[in-house]
Amino acid sequence: MNFIKKSMLVAAILATTAGIASAGGHGLGIKKIGLAVPNLQADFFNQIKLGVEGYAGKLGIEVIVVDAKNDTATQVSQVQDLITQGIDAFIYIPAGAAAAAVPTRLARAEGIPVINVDREPAGAPGDTVIYGENVVSAYQVCDHIIGLADGKGKMVVIHGQKGTTPEVQRFEGCKMAIDENPGVELVAQQWSQQWSPDEGFQIAQNMLQANPDIRIIFGQADGLAMGAAKAVEVAGLADQVIVGGYDGDGAALESLVACDTPFIVTATQSTQAMGVLAVNSAIAVANDASVPARQIPNAVLTTCDDAAQFVEKHP
Amino acid sequence: MTRSKGVGENSRFSDFFSLSGATGPLIGLLLLCAFLSLATDSFLSFRNFLNIADQITVLGIMAVGMTFVILIGGIDLSVGSILALSMMVLGYLNVSAGYPMGVAIIGALLASALAGTVSGLLITEFRVPAFIATLAMMSIARGLANMITNGSQIIGFPTWFNLGAIIRHFGFLTMTVAVMIVVFAVAILFLRYRQEGRVLYAIGGNSEVARLAGINVRLTTVMVYMMCALLSGLAGILLAARLDSVQPSSGVAYELDAIAAVVIGGTSLSGGTGSVMGTIIGVLIIGVLRNGLNLLSVSPFLQAVIIGLVIVLAVAAETFKHRNAR
Repeated sequence: MNFIKKSMLVAAILATTAGIASAGGHGLGIKKIGLAVPNLQADFFNQIKLGVEGYAGKLGIEVIVVDAKNDTATQVSQVQDLITQGIDAFIYIPAGAAAAAVPTRLARAEGIPVINVDREPAGAPGDTVIYGENVVSAYQVCDHIIGLADGKGKMVVIHGQKGTTPEVQRFEGCKMAIDENPGVELVAQQWSQQWSPDEGFQIAQNMLQANPDIRIIFGQADGLAMGAAKAVEVAGLADQVIVGGYDGDGAALESLVACDTPFIVTATQSTQAMGVLAVNSAIAVANDASVPARQIPNAVLTTCDDAAQFVEKHP
Repeated sequence: MTRSKGVGENSRFSDFFSLSGATGPLIGLLLLCAFLSLATDSFLSFRNFLNIADQITVLGIMAVGMTFVILIGGIDLSVGSILALSMMVLGYLNVSAGYPMGVAIIGALLASALAGTVSGLLITEFRVPAFIATLAMMSIARGLANMITNGSQIIGFPTWFNLGAIIRHFGFLTMTVAVMIVVFAVAILFLRYRQEGRVLYAIGGNSEVARLAGINVRLTTVMVYMMCALLSGLAGILLAARLDSVQPSSGVAYELDAIAAVVIGGTSLSGGTGSVMGTIIGVLIIGVLRNGLNLLSVSPFLQAVIIGLVIVLAVAAETFKHRNAR
């Protein structure tokens, strides 16, 4: 269902674009896209970059990528350089803990369309912002693992960094699934600092110590879930416990393909689709077509059965 | 001046501009510019040079302070953290506490100078090696910067503050670039014509001899670390203007860029030789290289490799020249 929704969205924009292109009669209206990425070491951003590059390449649009290595000042310099190179559209993923408004203003001053991905700076919105949906997708993951446990038993949640948007929204979604199943008892929840596997391991180990009869674990990120799955194995409870994760990291998808741990389901974020969506939005804005202020692609529920196709080609 | 002997006919020219030890880097910079002008359409333009000037402001000012420190044979690892501390103090005083910008700027500079003074005192009075003292200060200043807002950013500066980094007076000079040029000019004149400036070379050459010659080495050392921190604080204020926001995670690893610029500019890490002019050239090499590699659309991973190679090349060439000149 997610798939259909998402492809419809993409198809709709494509159709708009194609219409404009044929009507305009002079190509897509943009030749060069600048893409500012916070940090290419992170798989999430790298996948978005691959999505932008792959799709723009097919359309014959040149993409210039700059990597700020998580430093806001570096990113501002890089955006100046992008503008010097005469980009026609700017895809902006803000770097650093805070999203700087200056790159948006610089591009706006030159009349260049600004497409924000993942985050947008306060007070300086772009033409549109694209970020991953959390609530519905987290609901689906929890619904799936609760279903596998026959809708009953003790459950625990390992949260991400407290107070961050994904942490809050993913729990909101999961809580909906828990509330729908009165047989499920949420016996413990804990927050990690870094969303990391070692934290997932430690937290899960402590939880299993306190409640050896846990049946369901939801880790709010794949790292947490995979760490928790390892703790379950160490405790010798692999047959009893079901672990769900979130994000669809490369490592997590491969683990799902092998399907030899208690970690058996995740929600794969449509990172490459976000890249495609960003390019289409850029084309649309450059041609004065309207785009929604917010575009929120769903994550795709991924189990052992369909993980292989995502390893092959990340959505 | 002995080092410019190896340069031949350039020596009069280099004496005049105090290029001692920096002719190699200057040639490198010119070659780099020539190459980039040919390789990309967008490099050789007035506008792009203005961009480069904008982009090197923060590094340039920090590198001047670092030059003083390295000249006396020291090192300062805390400049990036002090830059962040200065930014957060500025943001706190101006936005959160509502003081006028003038007061906030003075407060930010005072906080930076204080941090530098503490480093200097640790080094002179407690005989902590400079590497360790400033490493400790790096951690302390970063922690304090984070404590001011519990790690989050501050936005909401007055509009004119950000415009200072954007509006080009007389068609080319932003307020931030003007500040950098003033800092460069004062530093060059200070090192070259003031007794206090020449004293730094004496201390770097041999601090014991300098002390016996009647120079107050301790006081000078503390002042040098204070000045380096003060300049980092100033750079932080300019960075705040450029970003129109402050966040405690700013300036991570900037100390390494500043050290690299100083070393590329021909200042010896063992102290005693070097010049601000050389450092300016070092800063320009780093700035032009980063700008040029972006314009050439070189992949970010390859950029890191190239910048590392240039540092090695610059230092190796300088060492080689130095050895031959002896």
